[in-house]
Amino acid sequence: MYALVDCNDFYCSCERLFNPRLENRPVIVLSNNDGCAIARSEEAKALGIAMASPVFMIDELLKKNNVAVFSSNYTLYGDISDRVMKTVGSFVPRMEIYSIDETFLDLHDMGYTDLLQLGINIRKTVKQNIGIPVTVGIAPTKTLSKMANRYAKKTRKDVGVFWAANDDLIQEMLSYTEVGDIWGIGHQHGLFLRRHGIRTAWDLSKAPEEWVRVNLSVVGQRLLNELKGVPAIQWEFETPAKKNICTSRSFGNLLTDKNTIKEAICNHAAACALKLRQQKNCCRIVHVFIHTNPHKTEEAQYSRSINVEVETATNNTSEIIKYASQGFDIIFKGGFRYMKCGVIVNDLIPEDQIQHSLYDQSDRPKAKTVMNTLDKINRGLGKEIVRFAVQGYEKKYKLKAEWLSPRYTTNINEILKVKI
Amino acid sequence: MIKEQIYKPTVLPFYGAVQAGFPSPAMDYIEERIDLNKTLIKHPLSTFIVECSGDSMINAFIPPRAKLIVDRSITPKTGDIVLAVINGEFTVKFLKKNEHNCFLVPANSKYKDIKVTPEMNMQVWGVVTNIITDTTDVRKCML
Repeated sequence: MYALVDCNDFYCSCERLFNPRLENRPVIVLSNNDGCAIARSEEAKALGIAMASPVFMIDELLKKNNVAVFSSNYTLYGDISDRVMKTVGSFVPRMEIYSIDETFLDLHDMGYTDLLQLGINIRKTVKQNIGIPVTVGIAPTKTLSKMANRYAKKTRKDVGVFWAANDDLIQEMLSYTEVGDIWGIGHQHGLFLRRHGIRTAWDLSKAPEEWVRVNLSVVGQRLLNELKGVPAIQWEFETPAKKNICTSRSFGNLLTDKNTIKEAICNHAAACALKLRQQKNCCRIVHVFIHTNPHKTEEAQYSRSINVEVETATNNTSEIIKYASQGFDIIFKGGFRYMKCGVIVNDLIPEDQIQHSLYDQSDRPKAKTVMNTLDKINRGLGKEIVRFAVQGYEKKYKLKAEWLSPRYTTNINEILKVKI
Repeated sequence: MIKEQIYKPTVLPFYGAVQAGFPSPAMDYIEERIDLNKTLIKHPLSTFIVECSGDSMINAFIPPRAKLIVDRSITPKTGDIVLAVINGEFTVKFLKKNEHNCFLVPANSKYKDIKVTPEMNMQVWGVVTNIITDTTDVRKCML
């Protein structure tokens, strides 16, 4: 058996934890730069606020219904997620964290007979210890456990746990679930299946194997097995090493000034370099991109990117900034209002497998010592206390985050204040 | 029931500079330096820190600006100092309860006991396990 533990309306629940007045009040959390709603409490969903609704389009609705609006506070959500995952992880020998608010548990060889009770215990413990409500779905495969989780949310709200323990319960759940809501069925396939009279997951599970293989490829065949209770999706305990690292942000306002955008590029480059060093990797390609706002169709549009090849693979901040600025100087064109820029470092290799260029004149061991010292100082004294001059301090391009809550759990100056 | 993974900052003991002559006689007696995180926080995953203002708990050694260590994993019992939520507002008080009644009790005669009614929707957010105060804040309230 597998379980999927999912935090209910996670970002909203995090905000509520430190702000109990928000209980029963609609809450939404916005995407980076306060663009659109990416998390909605149940009350907000009931108001008809759709996922990814742009804020400017629902402004009236938000005011009229006294909706609490927050900018996304990933520092807070990240820490609360870590607490939830570790608490859930203490119940089982193996788990696979799937996203910031979902984790799969492997319940084989557990010696538990009553998995429903296990689910209830997990839910109760996370609620008490961290204060975050979770839902638990338990079933013979990952796909079914994901479905069981959704089924629990829809039909077992008060218990918050559903265990598809036998064929009858599995059939009940499959018949309830529409094909479009199956994990792994995209919009196109959903439409296709409905056109062929397959409406529910139960219908799909009864479809002939050969037909599924021909029409939905091997992915569909794997899904079919999963629906029949035969595990076909691999268990991933370790996230595969990243093949590239991307740092990009939309600007708070559209920008025209070259130097301001260049400062942003340099900051993104520095962030990539730091991540590379943390992973003990070096990159061979630095990719830089800029573009205007494609949704503002009335404005002149420009979008360009460039790959800068690195002479000797590196994770040195000064070198990556150098390559990124070179690329930026080539692609930047004046007279446009830019919305976004970013740096992607590509073609990564472990830092102990670098091939040095024949003409490489720089003192690499010394440069490495400088970087280590930089990281050490910044770890001890605070993020980016020591930085390169080109990174600047003004951050004119900074993201909008008007409704940001405090970092209650990671910064002593922002802890919860209580009037007693 | 729950085994927690403990967050452990790497504090390395100082073994003294390398000496060519005698090894340090203290070498075999090196212990890790005291780590207050370990002493004050038994359950790191369920522990939060909050800062107080106000004087309702002054006689329980909680002056204004005191930082409280709050553990959510502890089941509150009568006599505990708790961080509670009443009508959506946080407060810190002694929890006093028996079969019939539940009270939130301040530690300052200026304030009255709060009798908890169902309409208040009272919830214990966590149990206060430790109080961290700056001595200057203690001095101020003794004057």
